[in-house]
Amino acid sequence: MSRVVFCGVGALGSNAALYCRELGAELRLIDFDRVESKNLAAQWFVKQSVGKNKAEAVRLQLANFYGHKAEAMGVRLGAHNAAQLLDGCDLAVDCFDNQDSRLVLSEAARVAGLPLVHAALAADGTFGLVRWDERFAPDREDAAGQATCEGGEHLPLIGLLASTLARAIQDFLRSGTRADYMVSLSGVLRTHI
Amino acid sequence: MAVLNITYQGNSGDYDLEIDYAASDADIRRIAVEVVRSGGIRGLHLANLPDNAFANYVVDRLRAPGGEERIYLRPKVPFGA
Repeated sequence: MSRVVFCGVGALGSNAALYCRELGAELRLIDFDRVESKNLAAQWFVKQSVGKNKAEAVRLQLANFYGHKAEAMGVRLGAHNAAQLLDGCDLAVDCFDNQDSRLVLSEAARVAGLPLVHAALAADGTFGLVRWDERFAPDREDAAGQATCEGGEHLPLIGLLASTLARAIQDFLRSGTRADYMVSLSGVLRTHI
Repeated sequence: MAVLNITYQGNSGDYDLEIDYAASDADIRRIAVEVVRSGGIRGLHLANLPDNAFANYVVDRLRAPGGEERIYLRPKVPFGA
């Protein structure tokens, strides 16, 4: 059975993991952060998860709601532990919320020869990308410490992007396809097959 | 020659006329402002679009497996949210 590791299970990662629960793959979830009340607006967490580690919270929800077993690692992925955290996986999914972690993950995946797909959302919540690592370059922030979109108003776009990411993962596991997508409020556009 | 796709305020569309694939990023941004102002993209017509509307946008140049050249002007995505 294939093993997929989700790096970051906030808005994108938690929702994408939910949509990947029936892929027939083992899911590994990595996130050091804890669930806050404000996260319930746009991330796949329930009230009972507030205060829990995010990776553990998604693991529990998958188990309790769907009987799906997943593996949770409540640590921060860095250069010192990336190889260990990615070990044994067939695909890595980048849903981190900062450029530094994306670059560390990208480097670790390249060294390990591990396929990696990135997903990212514009700060204003109107646009998102799914892009495979061979065509990936992280964009710079407009201003240091730029706020992420945390409110529930962006949930429909987040859902669309998360489901597009899940579809990209599904296609890869089934056929090895590495398709890139652009997601906006007007639709989903495949930009590379 | 290449197809130009512009994404702005949640809407996205292709410009009907092909443009020079090697045009500079600054030229692409300037052309895009004129295209959106003139209504060259269906559903994305803003006559009063500011000159600097795309100042912080990213220009991606992608070549499809079939050889088609496409230029995407899009917002930055620095975060995974």
